[in-house]
Amino acid sequence: MNIEQLPIINLLLFLLMALVIPLLKRKPFKITLILGFVVLGLVLISSGYLLWYVNNVEVIHYTFGGHEARFGIEFIVDPFSALFTTIIAGLAAIIYIYSSGDATEGIEKTEYGRYYVLLFILLMSMFGILYTNDLFNTYVFIEILSITTCAIISIKKKKDTYTSAFRYVMMNELGSLSYLFGVALIYMATGFTNITLISESIQNAYASYPVNIIVALGFMIIGLGIKAAIFPFHIWLPDAHSAAPSTSSAILSAIVIKVYILVLVKVLFRVFKLDILNEMNISTILLVLAGVAMIMGSVFAIAQKDVKRMLGYSSVAQMGYILLGIGLLSFEGLRAAFFHILSHGLMKTALFLSVGEIIYYKKTRKVNDFDGMGFIMPVAMGVFSIAALGMIGIPLTSGFISKLNLGVAVLDQNQIIFLVILIVSSLLNVIYYLPIIILAFLKNEKYRYRLKSIEPTPRTMIAPLVLLGVLIVVVGLFPNQIMIFIEAAANSLLP
Amino acid sequence: MIKFPKMKIFDSMVKSNSYLVGLSMFLLVYFIGFVGNWFGINETIVNSVWFLNLLESRWVDYLIVIIISIPIIGAVVELKYGENSVKHRDKSVIYMGFLTLVIIVLMYPIILNKTLLIEIPQIFSIGLTLRIDMLGYAVLILSAFIWFFVMIYAHEYMTHEKKTTRFLFFLALTYSSVIGAISSGDLLMMFIFFEIMTITSYMLVIHGQNEQSYKAGYNYIIMGLIGGFLILTAIILLYFNIGDLRFTSAIAKLDTLGNLKYWIMGLLVFGFGIKAGMAPVHVWLPRTHPVAPTPASALLSGVMIKIGAFGIIRVATSYYFPSREAVAGIDDPLWQAATNIGAIIIWSGIITMALGVFLALQQANIKKMLAYHSISQMGYIITGIGVALYLGYEGAMGLTGAMYHIINHALFKSLLFMVAGVIYYHTKELDMYKLGGLWKKLPFTTMTFLIAALGISGIPLFNGYISKTILHHGIVEAYELGHPVFLYAEIIFIVVSAGTVCSFIKMFYYVFLRKTDNEYKTMVFDYSSLDIAMWSMAIIIVLIGLSPSFILKSLIIPILNLTTYDPYFIEHHIAHMNVFAYKDLLMTLGIVGLGFVIFILGKKYHLFHLHLPKWLSIEYLFFLPAYIIMRNLCRIMYGDRCPMDKDDFAKLTEKDVEKIGFIDRFIITTNVFNRRYEQSIIRSDAIIYTGFLTFIIILMLITKL
Repeated sequence: MNIEQLPIINLLLFLLMALVIPLLKRKPFKITLILGFVVLGLVLISSGYLLWYVNNVEVIHYTFGGHEARFGIEFIVDPFSALFTTIIAGLAAIIYIYSSGDATEGIEKTEYGRYYVLLFILLMSMFGILYTNDLFNTYVFIEILSITTCAIISIKKKKDTYTSAFRYVMMNELGSLSYLFGVALIYMATGFTNITLISESIQNAYASYPVNIIVALGFMIIGLGIKAAIFPFHIWLPDAHSAAPSTSSAILSAIVIKVYILVLVKVLFRVFKLDILNEMNISTILLVLAGVAMIMGSVFAIAQKDVKRMLGYSSVAQMGYILLGIGLLSFEGLRAAFFHILSHGLMKTALFLSVGEIIYYKKTRKVNDFDGMGFIMPVAMGVFSIAALGMIGIPLTSGFISKLNLGVAVLDQNQIIFLVILIVSSLLNVIYYLPIIILAFLKNEKYRYRLKSIEPTPRTMIAPLVLLGVLIVVVGLFPNQIMIFIEAAANSLLP
Repeated sequence: MIKFPKMKIFDSMVKSNSYLVGLSMFLLVYFIGFVGNWFGINETIVNSVWFLNLLESRWVDYLIVIIISIPIIGAVVELKYGENSVKHRDKSVIYMGFLTLVIIVLMYPIILNKTLLIEIPQIFSIGLTLRIDMLGYAVLILSAFIWFFVMIYAHEYMTHEKKTTRFLFFLALTYSSVIGAISSGDLLMMFIFFEIMTITSYMLVIHGQNEQSYKAGYNYIIMGLIGGFLILTAIILLYFNIGDLRFTSAIAKLDTLGNLKYWIMGLLVFGFGIKAGMAPVHVWLPRTHPVAPTPASALLSGVMIKIGAFGIIRVATSYYFPSREAVAGIDDPLWQAATNIGAIIIWSGIITMALGVFLALQQANIKKMLAYHSISQMGYIITGIGVALYLGYEGAMGLTGAMYHIINHALFKSLLFMVAGVIYYHTKELDMYKLGGLWKKLPFTTMTFLIAALGISGIPLFNGYISKTILHHGIVEAYELGHPVFLYAEIIFIVVSAGTVCSFIKMFYYVFLRKTDNEYKTMVFDYSSLDIAMWSMAIIIVLIGLSPSFILKSLIIPILNLTTYDPYFIEHHIAHMNVFAYKDLLMTLGIVGLGFVIFILGKKYHLFHLHLPKWLSIEYLFFLPAYIIMRNLCRIMYGDRCPMDKDDFAKLTEKDVEKIGFIDRFIITTNVFNRRYEQSIIRSDAIIYTGFLTFIIILMLITKL
């Protein structure tokens, strides 16, 4: 087997798994679960190997069917795509283990198979988006991703999930089409859809058709902004979160919206390049969007009574942090943003999964009902607290390192006002995360007598939570080992 | 002849605790002996081969890790015994404190010759440093003694409270984080331990778990975290501009930053000042103390707020002082930054002390009064720090005063809180106007109270007198060598001292002397761990008062020698200072007289029951603009239909700031905001999309064309 084919095999494995699940319908469901786990494990190993390979040996280019990149589809595995595919595979594996402990609350037993089919197609499309070096091919994968995400949101058979899924699909279609419109305009100006080829001729195209390029960039930023839930376009996100099962929320918040922002990174840094971006002053637009998101996301989160909606709004604020790093258009900024993608991925997964466990057993999602929860579910609430402290930015968690890097990156570009916004946003985080922890561990222990009445949580649900808690702390303590890969990824985007 | 009631013993561990305290006193004697070179003990140790080998070896640095981890181990052991074996549980905490104390006392000759240093590279991508030098050691040995005595005290005191295991567990963790914060070698490390301290001590504050303690605790942790964020901002600014967070001189680089260096220092002073109880941000302190269990308030006031002051000293004397090698004397232009910062710190210290004592005089609750005195005394310390910075190369007097007062205040304030705890333990009452005549029932407690009160009032032969005199010298130098405006600072200083005297005369009169109808028949006169702890602290207070030069010689002069101060000045003005000059004694007499006058006037005209109008409270003035905005924001959002929710609106328009604090109001406002806009944003999806798209494209086109 050739190493170049490894990325394709990753995609094929996911696709095959999705095909196999319906065939195994009559067999015990356990077989499907184990098989899926094996597939995820294999993909994790292969993406890890690819990460090592591209960082130490060389970047992999693969063109389908041997066609020239100009006509065919090209896959590139470079430090950037290899890093994020590994992160996605890792997070997905954790969420998968958790969901196998039948915590997919609200889903009917007969729908389990469908849920996993969707999950694997979702992963396939995300891998595709990251690997591909073709704007139109990206659009195809984006479409697959939106449709599967929509299906996974509406998997619960309830009325409000349908409305929120409908809103999701409409908004995201708007986003996809805006993106497609941008691609078409670029194709019109340059004649290519391959990213490498476009980037070679974009300067000339910009000189001859400036309006085309500007409108294309505007459409792409807005389109991907909708999909990545940047503040004024976050409209679909809170409803989708409160409707979807917890594992889906975790996937949606921790992985899917990050993939869209990575597409935006690709578009900005690979297609348009810094010269054009600086000339058009894109930095200011992105920074303003980011600043508004960081504050407003948190302000809306404070007012939420439903814990999952609250976490959803918190994601909106955190996407602002990531956009802030990207909008600085500098190496430090990208580094901080990429690190925050990882650390927010870990923390948000931990938050959603621990809340998922609480919702599964206590059937409550009101923040006010969390009193004494720390005694009933010490592990879930403990991990929740670690992740929440990480969100606030307490040292010893990965969130602190994100804040430190972001702060330094902001100063590096002389945007001291965003340091203030960063700190204020952290304070707002304190206001909505801290009372939950206090409520859970210190207040009203009236539930304490029920300690024994709780059925023992399956180990498959506890283990991923503990793993996430440990990872948050370890990444917070020793960021340097991961920072090597992140810096390589940031370097591969900048000339 | 007064007949004392018969003494009883209920405390089962009183015997072993007495031995332990005896041993600790022996350690103290050893320490004194070592410094004074009795029987040539100093020379024998320092010149011995194994000591020299020890200094050479790399392993001696790991003492830092050992003293940080001992309390953690103790906490784990304590948790293991738990409620099953109360005796073992208490013992594990006490012995752990004792072990730390032993190691710290024995470390003295090592620190005197060598600064312990551990560097942990890689971690946090910046690297961390642990370091103990003389400045850290002085605070370390102080905290070790006080923590040990408070542990002894806590063991008996907490028998009346619930969930002692949890309390002792977090007490030990807080101890570890305090030691860590003192022995950090860079700002990031200090910040980390600071945050841990905030969180663990929060658990001590809310121990009572009632509505009041939650409210005070929430106030405490939010303010602590705000302070943390201020420090974090400063860390980011410093790291970006200097690239190194270790406590070394950075003024050469900072000087090129223009006004930013004042912003950084401002952030740091406020960040640490929140913990230290500095004037505008002290509001958590008087709320926290009455609700926390006494051992927690003794430590909070005795040690933890000192860590805030220590942080300011540490940061100022390292980053903002020129290095010893490069300094060109008093006229070095690098001192300019320190001078400017120092002037501001002096005034904030003066305001803090005046405000603290003024509010203390109005209080009826003993613990609240002591808390306000903590603020006032922290004002003294902050003034000292200000003088130390303001006079630059010749500011050694200010630092001496500040360090000396840190030590003294820690001793008498924790003792005073312990006294308040004993009163509460026996009577379940903290209102001083309801108490009275306790001196007959609790003679020992009365005596310890008297010693501590004489200490805090600054009476000669007790410890407070010395540090207050030195601080007074510092302020006098500030206006003689610096600007004449500090003459007013001196006047305020004297008035505040008189206020302190008056306040303790008042407390002594109302709580102990005054005759009341209440006979306290049921009260028993017993001997317990409470008394041992209190007596040993009282002894230390008197010892320091009797020999003022001991602390100077053993702890403070080595600190000054390591700081960038004029060696000539240290040698001539501090090393052989005589605090018992007739001028100083005369002034003290005047202060005491003024104190009596204020007390008599206050009692006659009922000035102690004055309550200031609500609008004068710091919080109200501070947040008033925010309150007005919040109240009207609702009207703007809803127009005439403003009171959408009657309850919320009533809360927003509530006049009493005590009832509904800033954060509650903020949350209500966001709720109103959320109700008004969340759904309308969601519904106007298409408008937002088109609007933003057109806006961005037009914006870009304008920039381009």
